[in-house]
Amino acid sequence: MADQAYDVIVIGTGAGGGMTIKTLCEAGLKVCAVNAGRRLNPLKDFRNHRMPWDLKYRGFGDPRTRAQSYGYMDNEYTQGVWEHGITYTTAPGSEWMWPRCYAVVGKTNFWGRSSARFGDIDFRAASRDGNDVDWPVTYNEIAPYYSRVERMIGVASTVQHRPSNPDGEYLPPMNFRCLDYILKSGCDKAGVPYLPDRIAQLTAPLNGHPPCHFCGECTTGCDTGSFFSSPYFFLPLAEKTGNFELRTNAVVRQVLVDEEGPARGVAYVDRESGQEREVYGKAVVVAASCVASAGIMLNSKSRHWPTGIANSSGQLGRNLCDHLYGGSARGYLPQLVGQPSFPDNVSDSTIAWMPRWQNLSDPHQEKFIRGYSVYPDGGCRDFPSINGRMEGFGSDFKRAVKRYYPAPVDFTVQAPSLRSDTNYVDLDPEAQDGYGNAAVRIHFQWDPNTLAMWEHSKEVCREVLKAAGGEYLGASDQPEMPG
Amino acid sequence: MGGQGIERREMLRVMALAAAASGFPGLHRWTFACGHLGSGAAAARPAAYTPQFFTPAEYATLERLTDMIIPSDGTPGAQEAGVAEFIDFMVWSDPGIQYDFRYGLVWLDSRADTLHGRPFRELTPDRQMDLLGHLAYKARFRPGEEDGQAFFRLAREYTVMGFYTTRIGMEQLDAPGLRFYTESPSCPHHGDPEHRHLPAPQV
Repeated sequence: MADQAYDVIVIGTGAGGGMTIKTLCEAGLKVCAVNAGRRLNPLKDFRNHRMPWDLKYRGFGDPRTRAQSYGYMDNEYTQGVWEHGITYTTAPGSEWMWPRCYAVVGKTNFWGRSSARFGDIDFRAASRDGNDVDWPVTYNEIAPYYSRVERMIGVASTVQHRPSNPDGEYLPPMNFRCLDYILKSGCDKAGVPYLPDRIAQLTAPLNGHPPCHFCGECTTGCDTGSFFSSPYFFLPLAEKTGNFELRTNAVVRQVLVDEEGPARGVAYVDRESGQEREVYGKAVVVAASCVASAGIMLNSKSRHWPTGIANSSGQLGRNLCDHLYGGSARGYLPQLVGQPSFPDNVSDSTIAWMPRWQNLSDPHQEKFIRGYSVYPDGGCRDFPSINGRMEGFGSDFKRAVKRYYPAPVDFTVQAPSLRSDTNYVDLDPEAQDGYGNAAVRIHFQWDPNTLAMWEHSKEVCREVLKAAGGEYLGASDQPEMPG
Repeated sequence: MGGQGIERREMLRVMALAAAASGFPGLHRWTFACGHLGSGAAAARPAAYTPQFFTPAEYATLERLTDMIIPSDGTPGAQEAGVAEFIDFMVWSDPGIQYDFRYGLVWLDSRADTLHGRPFRELTPDRQMDLLGHLAYKARFRPGEEDGQAFFRLAREYTVMGFYTTRIGMEQLDAPGLRFYTESPSCPHHGDPEHRHLPAPQV
């Protein structure tokens, strides 16, 4: 199909693509976005206000398909919005649980919303501890952009003067719950910071967006657009300019190039008709997520780019990094046992954080380099937590469930992996993605430094919980699967 | 308690979000008990439930078990919330647990028969309590009853799942998710950050 030429083709419409589209359209450029999935209807596709009994399997999901779920976000409340059609593979010895939202605006539909600033402790980490290389930007260079984005999307938090994360421009924070004050008392004793989290969630109206209504179901989508997500914040602004065209259900096969090598367009498969199509532009922006962008570029082979577009360095797809998440400790607070229920779950685990406290003044203070953060949570959720102390059945059991309902707490670590030559993505020579492209193949294992953070976090969180007067019930056996 | 509660149901109306009716026709009692959006309490109680997976005898035992695990004891229990119907539906939907449920019910009847010459559902309530008690409490464990113990854990897990995902169950907990809040709720216990001096528990 012959096609008009656009100024810019953008592959992907999420956090990166959405911002690019909005910015370019407002600057007067004609932009065409190519997106692998459909456009969601928030009123239909976001089931965040359904109660468990409104769902066929009460939120536990269809048992026959539960094993195919890509983790906790891919559940009955978000059925039909996560990608299951485009396949990827993992190399022997690698695991990769990859929840992909290829619907328009991608994972901004359901993201975790934590929006802290990085500081020079990260950008200049290599200079501090001698490992690897520094980022090519400094904090001072990037700080004005942080401010611009914070004003645009709205981030709730407080000024905290932490060396790990510079302060920004914030909306009022979420208030602390009972469990936060109790856990903070434990942190104070253990020398660990316990502060309001930094979240792109509106505690006040912003730029025409209504504030949060505290339903606590953010990871199943927000139908009022009260946390930053591209469908509410970016795409309407792009559409208003008249410069924007969106092509949905378009799985990119490759970036097309001219004889000299520069990109001139994109070839894609229309998922509904199965037809191959092309769209042309003066420039192409690949914003399809970390791994998928690498896959598209590796698949974009030509005479000029025999190993994939812009891969003359051989670094395309290399140095895959991830955050390790895991349950560092869980238990309950005896102080809250038997107390009235309290609306603890009003912001989906983003009330408080324990920002990095390791290796701050001395980069080699711990047995690992760099540092991690911890996200505490707990209290009354929709479903009660049943622990090993609730033996038996009958009225005593029923009462125990109610008594313990406000009391559970847990800690989730977020530990960055180190760059490694053995963690990368390439193309699987033997598997296809279902749309005629070579499937992306992932090679990834946690490095010893990241695993040392995981072990460290388990010790500290146990200590914090005990110092808060809590009962420790254990930690997860394993961190969550990477991906 | 900070934040004014709004009935979640009202909020749903305001947003004109029609709740999707469960496509499954079997949950009569549950639908009745929970007062689905807009259906109110006027709906007539439908005829007896016909199990999809369990035999009538198995289902009678299952209903009794759920009633023993979460009884009606002044506040509603598993019976009122239609928990046995939910379990029948989930087991019917899940080949992975069908054997365990069926085997567990057979185990229970055969154990009851060995001890008292009758299936479990025909025992006196005292004998039922005694038999289940040996499976449920570590201190009362009898060697050789490992399979029964495992079945009790399974039955309790599904009873909990079925009960606390109904409006009846969530109301038992006074679950905050039944309401919306107009401001970020804030701890009301000023001056007691460690919460060492809270009023004595009511529950």
